[in-house]
Amino acid sequence: MYKRLELHNHTTESDASLTCEDLLRWMEADQVDAFGLTDHNTISGHPKMQKLLLENSSGIQCIYGMEYTTYYGHILCLNLKEYVPWETIDRRRPELLFQAIRDKNALAGIAHPYSYGYPFARGCRFEMELTDYSCVDFIEIFNNPEPLRQVNEKGLLLWEDLVLKGWPIAMTCGMDLHGRWEMGNQFATFVKGEPGGDTAAELEQAIRSQKTCISKGPILEVSVAPDSRSLTFHLADTKKPGFSRQDSSQFLITLKTSSDTYTAAPDQAFPIERLKGAESVIPKLYDKTAEIENLVCVAPVLHLTGQSRQPWM
Amino acid sequence: MKVLYKVGGTLSKDFIGQISYTVCLDRKYEELDIEFSFDKQKYTAEDVTEDVIRELTDYCRSNYGLELPPGADPAKEIMDSAKTEIHTLAMLNDRFIGCIHRQLTNRHMHFCSSSATEGCIPQTDLEGVLKVTVLVFNVLMDDTHYTLQVSAR
Repeated sequence: MYKRLELHNHTTESDASLTCEDLLRWMEADQVDAFGLTDHNTISGHPKMQKLLLENSSGIQCIYGMEYTTYYGHILCLNLKEYVPWETIDRRRPELLFQAIRDKNALAGIAHPYSYGYPFARGCRFEMELTDYSCVDFIEIFNNPEPLRQVNEKGLLLWEDLVLKGWPIAMTCGMDLHGRWEMGNQFATFVKGEPGGDTAAELEQAIRSQKTCISKGPILEVSVAPDSRSLTFHLADTKKPGFSRQDSSQFLITLKTSSDTYTAAPDQAFPIERLKGAESVIPKLYDKTAEIENLVCVAPVLHLTGQSRQPWM
Repeated sequence: MKVLYKVGGTLSKDFIGQISYTVCLDRKYEELDIEFSFDKQKYTAEDVTEDVIRELTDYCRSNYGLELPPGADPAKEIMDSAKTEIHTLAMLNDRFIGCIHRQLTNRHMHFCSSSATEGCIPQTDLEGVLKVTVLVFNVLMDDTHYTLQVSAR
């Protein structure tokens, strides 16, 4: 099954208007399978949410984390079990903080890399001078409330560029929830999991294997045909509330490689030879036209060779 | 409550970074309060000079491609949007006990065994070495003053 995750949320423990209990109820009401608790620079909500979930029988799970809110960018941290100090962050060597987070077996990602920073809110834009992206587990490519073209499209393009250069970085999205914000027709993160399974572990597995997916509703599944000559497509319905598109007949698919972008139809096989030996392909599902406004789903990166990939700059 | 430590300082425009104060608690306490205040969070109308308008609009244009909406009052936009931003972080014996991110010009971080201010974690053993860090994200104006006071019972 696919599990819907809302991975970026705040409470009154930092600067939101929702208490931990409000957040839990809001997520339950929208049929979320698991949600992140990612307050700015504090983990004070963790024991409160743990207590609430112990008394809760709905099966919803929490991904415990924090949004490291630094002077030079925000680092979204998931599966965080203890606070990792960040105050000595060096803008020119941010890898040290990413690595310190990962050393605690947490997942470290870049949040909303192109948000507006100074003079509105210094640190919201990611301005760290990262050179070794191997310390980055994921990039939040869609921060739903942010402007689509000025912020989110740039985040998507950054992730695509890094992935197609060979960096094994997953993608996520989030609501960056600070209140009772409507989540219908917004992107959510999906991972494969088992009913009743440990979603934190399933998320880690998905991120480490680049198998996360973001979608407003349906999930684009891409398979290599048994003869290895073509790609086939399938749309899986996630039943995410609020997805407004009822007719899937006008969906189209793009396949982005390091050299080109190809268009495919959901109901037709796509010959692999047309990809000209590309090792990595990013499949995306659009409604009618391949414009960012019509993007419905970004599927997991498809790796077409078993060779070890070496990032190049 | 007994005041253990009181300090103040002045920040200059555009300072980014942290200032830490370490307090060796003289004994075990049941209750701890850290109060932090600062001034000049927002521009006043007199602060928004033509130079400030030019500096900020140029910055937004060149960094974000943002232009003011037609008919917008630049001074009002700047007064509404720009802010001095300072957070406070507390560690006890090198262990995280709380951080306040809310944009308050006066804030308390209160700790006891059964409760704590939101953003902070209740503490049963208030003893040892307390480190309070003032996290300065943005300072709009020169001579921005702050005070920090640590009290305990």
